[in-house]
Amino acid sequence: MIARSTVRGYAFASPLMIVLAAAVILPALYNAGLAFFKYDAVRDAWRFTGATNFTHLLAQDRFWNAFWVTLLWVAGNIALQLAIGMAVALALNAVASLRAFYSAVVMVPWVSSFVIVAVVFLWLYHPDLGVLNDMLMRLGLIDRPIAWLASPGMAQFSLILANTWKFFPLVAITLFTGLQGIPRELLQASTIDGANRLETLRYIIIPLLAPSIATAVLLSTIWAFNAFTLSIIMTGGGPLGATEVMGLYIYKIAFDSFDFGMAAAASLLLFVAILIITVVYLRVADPASEAAD
Amino acid sequence: MERSSRVVQITAHIVLGLTTVFVLFPYAWMLVTSIKPIADVIAWPIRWLPRSITLENYAAILNDSRFVRALFNSAVVSIAVTALSLLLSVPAAYGLTRLVRRGGRPVLIGILASQFFPPMVFFVPFYIVLQSLGLLNTLPGLIFTYLSVTLPICTWMVATSLRDIPVAIEEAARIDGCGDVRMIWTIIRPIAAPGIVTAGIFAFVLSWQEYIFALLYTTSERAQTAPVLMFYLLGQHQIDYARLMAAAVLLSIPIAIPFAVIQRFYKSGMTEGGIKG
Repeated sequence: MIARSTVRGYAFASPLMIVLAAAVILPALYNAGLAFFKYDAVRDAWRFTGATNFTHLLAQDRFWNAFWVTLLWVAGNIALQLAIGMAVALALNAVASLRAFYSAVVMVPWVSSFVIVAVVFLWLYHPDLGVLNDMLMRLGLIDRPIAWLASPGMAQFSLILANTWKFFPLVAITLFTGLQGIPRELLQASTIDGANRLETLRYIIIPLLAPSIATAVLLSTIWAFNAFTLSIIMTGGGPLGATEVMGLYIYKIAFDSFDFGMAAAASLLLFVAILIITVVYLRVADPASEAAD
Repeated sequence: MERSSRVVQITAHIVLGLTTVFVLFPYAWMLVTSIKPIADVIAWPIRWLPRSITLENYAAILNDSRFVRALFNSAVVSIAVTALSLLLSVPAAYGLTRLVRRGGRPVLIGILASQFFPPMVFFVPFYIVLQSLGLLNTLPGLIFTYLSVTLPICTWMVATSLRDIPVAIEEAARIDGCGDVRMIWTIIRPIAAPGIVTAGIFAFVLSWQEYIFALLYTTSERAQTAPVLMFYLLGQHQIDYARLMAAAVLLSIPIAIPFAVIQRFYKSGMTEGGIKG
């Protein structure tokens, strides 16, 4: 009887599992295999080359450029998203009115189309006609237009800002959900004990919120590693490779140079990097979440 | 105490007010630009409010047959992905949470974990597979690639919403001789509706806005989706931003409407399984 319903259960799940195998598992394995082959476009043939793709990749300056650009990109996104997300979460948790309205507004960027974000920010950042320069000049903060996307340092910052606009809601809502789990009595007790608001934040809220913060950081890290829609549309990786994140670099190896094997090798390295980060996170963050329960 | 809590309220409203401006300004500017006559769009210093309002940018983009074609392609892909995702994930979620006695949960976690692969892992294998099947530059090919992203999360969302529903109703129906298929349609579908709708909207929104796979696998006009067309419009010599903003407004509407309707459920779904969106 038990076995029969289990069999029926797997039968209902089997169409999904078959499609998942075909659309996720097998392609991922295929990709891992391709990383050890070289595609010869002239003869339309694959040749086993061992670890050559990896050694070539690690010897390339562009790979290391993408590596450092990605680290900066991820760190910048986490910092900015965490700062804005935390402020928004604390404020959402504190307001006595309009909370539904504000949380609906906060969700808007999250459901916005990435291409639209890219196009609209291109227009906001426009060096000659952009509203951002106009605003800053009217306020007297700058006396000549800023080329937001034309200098290496500025371009990276401008993209991080646009990406933060898109992704801070995920951080804000994750932290807000965590804040709602903190018992009010605990906060009242700390006030009665004479702690001021900053002390309460520092010694009560932040430690209790640690699991949510860790989750938010992990999510925004994975997102930042994967996202390159903004760089491909807004800068194409330039100027001088300053915004060529790993995803865009892999895209270019595969579809500009048509070096499929090396693109597969690079994506495998990226996958392993994200995997390691996640495993470390689970080891570090899970005990904390148990303690909080 | 009274005064300090008023300070907190005011500070919180200021923070959220600034956030509202930060969030809504790009959209407001997009809308304003889209209804400006071209002379006002290229004026410097900027005319914040147009001297006259025009719909000519909308007319121009809607008269562009490529844009209309791309909108149609996007609609077909999004609706097909949504339907297939629900058709596959609802029975699977039901089977794994309600019928499988042991092991259902690990399998579900395995399914969710499969969304963990970064999209770059699929660039090359999808390209080779679609090419060998003759599915490059076709809508079915693109739909297939989107399922790799939607299925794990949709299954997880539906399974999570089933977890909160007591099994008593199903047991009663089972005693009355209700089979599995009828159970899914008459019992599960109505009571798990919030989770199913959320999963469906997730699949729709993702497919409507997806850009990278679409760029890689639909280079011809025949199968091009709207986001890819936006990219090509940007590549032109003279970028017509007013027209682009009109296109952006039109592309935002199919996301804005369902989002406005189900805003409440979406939030909980997002924190559940949100690595991709």
